Amino acid sequence: MAKRELEEISAGSMADIAFLLLIFFLVTTTVEVDAGIGRTLPLKIDQPVDQEPIDIRERDILEIKANSQDQLLVEKKLTPIEDLEDIVRDYYTANIETETNIDMPAYTKIDPVRCQTEILKYQTLVTENEENVAAQKELDSWRAKLELCQSLPTQQYSEISKMAIIRLENQAGTSYGLYIQIQNILKKVVNEQRVKYCTEIWDKDYFALDKQNVEDQEIIKKLRILVPERIIEAKIER
Amino acid sequence: MRLKLKDKMGRFNKGKKRGVPGVNTSALPDIIFMLLFFFMVATTMKEQDYLVEIDKPTASQALPIEDKDKIDFVYIGFPIDANQGTEPRIQLNDQLAPGPASVIPWKLGAVRPGMRAFDIPTSLKVHKDVGMRVVSDVKENLREIDAIKINYSADARD
Repeated sequence: MAKRELEEISAGSMADIAFLLLIFFLVTTTVEVDAGIGRTLPLKIDQPVDQEPIDIRERDILEIKANSQDQLLVEKKLTPIEDLEDIVRDYYTANIETETNIDMPAYTKIDPVRCQTEILKYQTLVTENEENVAAQKELDSWRAKLELCQSLPTQQYSEISKMAIIRLENQAGTSYGLYIQIQNILKKVVNEQRVKYCTEIWDKDYFALDKQNVEDQEIIKKLRILVPERIIEAKIER
Repeated sequence: MRLKLKDKMGRFNKGKKRGVPGVNTSALPDIIFMLLFFFMVATTMKEQDYLVEIDKPTASQALPIEDKDKIDFVYIGFPIDANQGTEPRIQLNDQLAPGPASVIPWKLGAVRPGMRAFDIPTSLKVHKDVGMRVVSDVKENLREIDAIKINYSADARD
């Protein structure tokens, strides 16, 4: 019987197969990493909730209007986009320690004693009428504030005026690019403040906080109370 | 002496026939595989073919989207197909939507049982020259169904 030798499998076409795969991946994939600015829109309110009459003060509202020519009107003054960042930063930080600028929102000191009184006040309101949603909301927020105070080394913090709101108004022709620039500036200033608090109080990197981690979630919640981000967008007029 | 010399010459003569040896290609598949793996790791799958042209704005504060599978994409830009006009259009999945109101059935259709529209963020990929009217309309419609988590897609560089 003739001795047959097993033929080796030729590996010569291996390179071609690999090339084919390579080209397939080159075509179907993209290098771009998806990034973006996250925002939560205000919830749609079906029926107006009874609330205490709010007195809106001019100083609490930062009005940013962008027109179809991509010009900015900040607090009724024509402003180049380069100056917006300093204005927003001033808006957040001018009065944080002491009252320095009466055109910017006021800060009030929040300490556990103040929290306790407010909790008691809203507690009675809720027990009187269990359907008082607004009071329940207040109660929850004051409880969170109390918890925050107790976790701070100084036991107190400065809170920006409750009515401090940044109001964005666009026109139909305002470019999305400008809108994103504005959003980016708002985010940048808020992030700056949160980074500062996060390192000062918890000695942690704000951007390294893990949303899945319970402990870090608490810190994020507290940072949101310390540096709130309240943006209202006006509807585009028809 | 002579014999010896001849012997040596003979040895040199052996090299007379030498040509350029062929390049050893046995490592080629390995190199190609290395490239292949590099591309597989460094890139992501295209989630959709674009029917609209999108030149994203840049924003230094943009953060990478963590879970791309759990996010819906709305594309707004200028149609690539000239027959579709020059006005900004909305692309949902692989079709151009007739108007901003189409995001409601589209978003609700993607909601898996046990979840709400609220739970799934929506990423808006918008060309930077598009006017705010259409973007604002899309956002208003998303608000109608409580899909209020929005991500404004932007390139993360200064």
